Amino acid sequence: MKSIKEHMMFILPLMAMLIGVEFILIFNRVTTSYEQKLKNEYAILVVSKKQLSTPIARGVSSKIDSVEAMNREDIAKEVTSGMQDTAMVAIMKDLPYFYRIHLNRYLSLEELKDIQAKLKGIDGVLNVEIFGENYHSKHTMFRLVKLILNIFIIMLFVVSIFLVVKQMEVWQLAHKDRMKIMEIFGAPMMLRSGILFKIAFIDAIIATLLNIGIFVYLNISWAKSSDINFIKENQGALINVSDFILMLFTAIVIVSVSVFIVAVQSSEVPEG
Amino acid sequence: MASVISANNLTLAYEGGKSIVINNINFTIEQGEFVFITGPSGSGKSTLLKSMYGQIKPYDGTLHIGGLNMSSIKKGQLLQLRRNIGVIFQDYKLINEWSVEKNVVLPLIITGYSLDVQKVQAEKLLSHVRLSEYANKYPLELSGGEQQRVGVARALSKNPFLILADEPTGNLDEFSSGVVWDLLENACDQLNATVVVVTHKIPTIFNIPYRHFIIENGGVHEVH
Repeated sequence: MKSIKEHMMFILPLMAMLIGVEFILIFNRVTTSYEQKLKNEYAILVVSKKQLSTPIARGVSSKIDSVEAMNREDIAKEVTSGMQDTAMVAIMKDLPYFYRIHLNRYLSLEELKDIQAKLKGIDGVLNVEIFGENYHSKHTMFRLVKLILNIFIIMLFVVSIFLVVKQMEVWQLAHKDRMKIMEIFGAPMMLRSGILFKIAFIDAIIATLLNIGIFVYLNISWAKSSDINFIKENQGALINVSDFILMLFTAIVIVSVSVFIVAVQSSEVPEG
Repeated sequence: MASVISANNLTLAYEGGKSIVINNINFTIEQGEFVFITGPSGSGKSTLLKSMYGQIKPYDGTLHIGGLNMSSIKKGQLLQLRRNIGVIFQDYKLINEWSVEKNVVLPLIITGYSLDVQKVQAEKLLSHVRLSEYANKYPLELSGGEQQRVGVARALSKNPFLILADEPTGNLDEFSSGVVWDLLENACDQLNATVVVVTHKIPTIFNIPYRHFIIENGGVHEVH
């Protein structure tokens, strides 16, 4: 019972840290996916007296992906709806060209304003609308949530590290005598700390497996039945096989460093 | 004879020199000698012994053990040296979670001997200290005298060139003390090991020649 408690005191903070790592990975993937979606749905509107081509637009900024011409007749039909056909001909004669400009990545508001200014500098361009506020507000909200989550994860990490160190001190006390005796008879650090490494590695594997279980459950069961569209759309971003490897690697690094600190602190051999 | 321990103007101190325990002493101990170190409580006997297995570094002067300068010895060299020194403590310092047999062969485990060799050596040593039937027991199941015999067996398990004993009979009754002294005499006489024993009282019956150092007021003198 005592042994289980000692293991859980190590496994739980380790799990908290791994959950933190996994959340960071998931949120980064979701952010990338969200930015991609925003980018795909977004376009700058350009009104020009002269025709505009993709090479001309790209000439002002490499961040421009393509230029899509809007159908002038459709616009004219909308404007002349309910009027005589002659009105349509007259409007078509004076109607400027309308273009949607697609970007090759998600840009900040400052970058958009910079592109707007450069596009306005092209000969014949009458107006450039970036719809900046609308475009950016959703993303700002999203980034704020991400920032808060990151702060929370950092705090979780710090608290978990304190708990791991505390548990290490318990282990240090429990194994101090044995390690001291072995050192007197000339045992190297790895041999003295062998049992600690063994326990810590087993706990690292258990913590990783439990975390994998939690995230697989969230992905398979919870995400599917969830009514949150955004989660359903990004279900693929929730878990990734490479995350399992990264979690195990992180857990092993954390326990190795912790055990190493305990082993060094337990050593009574004066430095030569 | 080769000098196993050599102290030249050796000073030992704690707290970075604030508390000097042993002050400017000189002595040499040769291979195969048996040495008793006595002195009043707090005179620095145990401190001197600790310096011999590198637990404390000389504050000043030099101390050579097996030809190695303990002032400048590297950590790896010290661990290597310790593998060839047997240490016996008043409080036994056995690993309570390990069986008697495993405790006895600790120095062999550290050196990486095979399980077969460990088994053979454990049987031989436990028979030597008359504890064969206790091989699979744990230290806390044994009396103090029996635990100390396990401690002696552990110290002898790798045929060390040097055996250091700190009050080895301090907690034992007369019978157990006699057994421990016999074992240490044999180690010196038959294995040609150098034995240094810190004790309050030299046994009245001792069958081999020995030297006697007394530590007092930070200095050491030999009784002839």
